[in-house]
Amino acid sequence: MFLEFIKWEVLKITRSTSFARSLLMAVIIVGLGLLLLSYVLMMGLALRPIIVEILQEENAVLFLNSVLIYFFLFEIIYRYFVQGLPVVELESLLHLPVSRSWIIRFLLIRSFLSPLNLIPVLLFTPFAVTEIAKVHGSGAAFSWLAAVYLTSWSLHWLVLWFKQRFDDSLIGVLVIFSVFLLGSGSAYFGVYNLGEMLQPVFSFALESYLPGIFMLLIFLATYFLCYSFYRKNAYLEDLSKDEGIRFANQSLGLFSRFGQAGEMADLEWKLIIRHKKSRTYLMLSGFFLLYGMIFYANPTYQSEEGFSYMFIFVASFITGVFMLQYGQLFLSWNSANFDFFLNKKDGIAALVRGKYLLFIAISCLCFVLSVPYVYFGWDILLIHLATFIFNLGITIHMVVFMALWKPKPMDLNKGGVFNFEGVGIAQYFMVIPLMAGPYMVFLPFAIWINDYAGLLALAVIGAVGIFFFNPLTQFSIRRVVQHKYEISSSFRQEL
Amino acid sequence: MIKIEGLKKRYKEATVLDVPSLQISPSACFGLVGNNGAGKTTLFRIMLDLVRASEGQVFFEGEDVSRTEGWKRRVGSYLDEHMLLAFLTADEYFESLRRIYGLSQEDLTQHLEKFRELFNDEILNKKKYIRDLSKGNLKKVGIAAALMGNPVVVLLDEPFENLDPSSQNRLKRFILQEKTQRNISFLISSHDLSHVTDICDRIVLLEKGKIIKDLVEKEAMVLELNQYFDQ
Repeated sequence: MFLEFIKWEVLKITRSTSFARSLLMAVIIVGLGLLLLSYVLMMGLALRPIIVEILQEENAVLFLNSVLIYFFLFEIIYRYFVQGLPVVELESLLHLPVSRSWIIRFLLIRSFLSPLNLIPVLLFTPFAVTEIAKVHGSGAAFSWLAAVYLTSWSLHWLVLWFKQRFDDSLIGVLVIFSVFLLGSGSAYFGVYNLGEMLQPVFSFALESYLPGIFMLLIFLATYFLCYSFYRKNAYLEDLSKDEGIRFANQSLGLFSRFGQAGEMADLEWKLIIRHKKSRTYLMLSGFFLLYGMIFYANPTYQSEEGFSYMFIFVASFITGVFMLQYGQLFLSWNSANFDFFLNKKDGIAALVRGKYLLFIAISCLCFVLSVPYVYFGWDILLIHLATFIFNLGITIHMVVFMALWKPKPMDLNKGGVFNFEGVGIAQYFMVIPLMAGPYMVFLPFAIWINDYAGLLALAVIGAVGIFFFNPLTQFSIRRVVQHKYEISSSFRQEL
Repeated sequence: MIKIEGLKKRYKEATVLDVPSLQISPSACFGLVGNNGAGKTTLFRIMLDLVRASEGQVFFEGEDVSRTEGWKRRVGSYLDEHMLLAFLTADEYFESLRRIYGLSQEDLTQHLEKFRELFNDEILNKKKYIRDLSKGNLKKVGIAAALMGNPVVVLLDEPFENLDPSSQNRLKRFILQEKTQRNISFLISSHDLSHVTDICDRIVLLEKGKIIKDLVEKEAMVLELNQYFDQ
C-alpha cells in the first residue's frame, strides 16, 4: 500500500502536463538546495572557529546556547514561508478502503522528509563533535544535540499545524510578525535579552537528559496536534465556515476608466479577493511593507557614505512583491475560466492588459504606503522611487515573460485544506533572477561612479521601459495569443 | 442496512439537508430524485463521510460511518470524476484498486469482463490517461471501479448523465442483473425519471433538503413523480 502511494506520487509528477517546466524547476531547486545545504554544512564546520577566534568568546558552548533561541525564531519564519504539506487530491482517496488516518500519516511523514529538517543536523553536529564532546564529554554532546534536533523538528509540526490553522487570518500574520520582531527587535533595541534568558535551558541539556526527554515529549505532542487537526479536517468542505462573499459588491471604481482592460482588472481583483489563495498573496504584500523595518533600522546596514546595496533588494521587494509573487502564476489564476476569455472579442488582450493594470495599481499603492520610511533618511525614499520605476518599467515585463513559459493549471476552488498548489519553494527561487535584474543595472554605476548614479540608472532604465510600455505589453499579448491552443488545452486537461 | 437518524446539514443559516429518519433495506434499488439543489449529492456525500453532518448520524449495518471506516470495504461509490486518479490510465487505475481491495488478477479480469459491453472497447488497453477520457467514459470507469471488491451497496450519482442512449440501456440492464445475481443494493440519484422508475423499487423525492415523497408502488410512482415535476 505504501509503495502504491509512492508510485502514484511519482506518476502524478511525471505525467503532469507541465512536467517539462516542473522538471527544469526541480533540477534548479535540487541544485540550489544542495548548494544551500552544503553552505549550511560549511557554516556548521566553521561554527566553532568563528565563535572562538573571530568573536573571541571564551566559552563557546555558553555563547552558542545564548544565541540558539534566535536560530529557532528564525527557523519559525523560514519554515512558515517555505514549508508546506504535499498537495493531494483527497477526493480520489477518501472513498477507498484506506483509512483516513493512514492517508494523513502518509502525508505528514512525507512532509517530514524535507531538507529543512536536515539544517539543524548539518549546522550543529560538527560543533557538538568538535567542541562539546571535547569539553563536556560525548554524553553531554549527545544529550545537547538531541535537545536541539527535537526542538527544530517540533517546530516542523508546529508550523505545519499553525499554517493551516491560521491560514488566511490576521492572527497568523500577526503572530509571524511578532516572532519576527521578537527575534530581531529584542537584541537590537536592547529592551531585554531573550538569548540570555533561555541560555540556561540549553546549558542544562549538557548536564542532564531531561531537556532532551522533555523535547521528545514536545515533539510527539506537536506531531499529534498536527495529526489530529489534519485528521479531523480531512473532509471535502472548507475549514473556514464564515467565508461567504465578504467583499461581494466591492468593485474598484478607478479601473472603470480603462475600458475593457479596466473591466478585466476589476474581475481579477474580485478573483483575488474571493479566493483564499490569492488573498494570501495580497496579505504577503502588506507583510512585506513592514520588511523594511528590519533592514533600515538595523545598524549593521548603515554605512558612512551612500547606503547599503542590500537596500535595493529590500526596496524592490517592498514596492513589487505583489507582481513578483502573484505575477509568477500569471495565467494560472485564470486556468479554470480561460476559455471564457478566449471566446470574447479581444478577450486575451484585455485580460493581459487588465493584469498589468492591476499590478501597476497595487505597486503604486505599496509605494505610497512605503513613503513613511523617509523617517530613516531621504536615501530610502530615493531608493524606493528608483526601484519602483524600475519595477514598473522592467521587472513587470520580466515576470510576465517568465510566467508565460508553459503556464500551469491551478484549481482555486479546491477545498482549501490541502491546497498548496503553486505556493511552494519554487516560487521563492523564481524570484532570484528577477531580483538580479535591478542589481545588473545598479552595480556598474554604483561601483564606477557612485550609489546615486546607480539609482539614477535604475530610474532611467525603468522610465525607458515605461515609455515602451505598450509595445512590450503587445509582445506579451502576442505570445499568449500565439500559444492560446496549447495553454487552453493544458488548462482543460488537468481535472 | 442503512439507517439515517436526525440528519441535518447547515451552511451558516441555511439548512440544506434535513432528514429526520430514513431506512434503506438490503438488496434493493433505491432511487433519489429531486430538482437541482434538492440535496441529493450532499446526502450521498454525508452517507460516505466525505462531508460532515451538522447533526445526526448515518449508520451502515449498525456502524456510525463517521466513526469507523470498516464499512468502506462494503460500500462502493462513484459521485464525480474527482474520485478517480486522473493521472493514471484506466488499466492502471483498476490494477491499483485490485491491490487495495486485495483481489487476485483472476478476480479483476472477471470483473472487467462484465463491463465489456458497457466499455465498448474504448477504455481498456488504451494509452490514454483518465483525465483525457470523455465525460461518458469517465463515468463508465467510475462505475466499474465502484463495483469492485464485492460491495454490498453501491452509491451512484447521476449514473445515466453523459452516457449515450445505448450505454444507458446497457447500464440499466447491468444494474438489474447485479442486483438479482449478487444481491447488491444500488442507491441512485438522477434527474432522469424514466430510468429510475424503470429500475428502482423505491423512490424518495427530495425538495430543499427534505423528503417530501417516499414511493414504493410502481404505477403510483410514475404518476406522482410526473405530477410533481410537471408543476
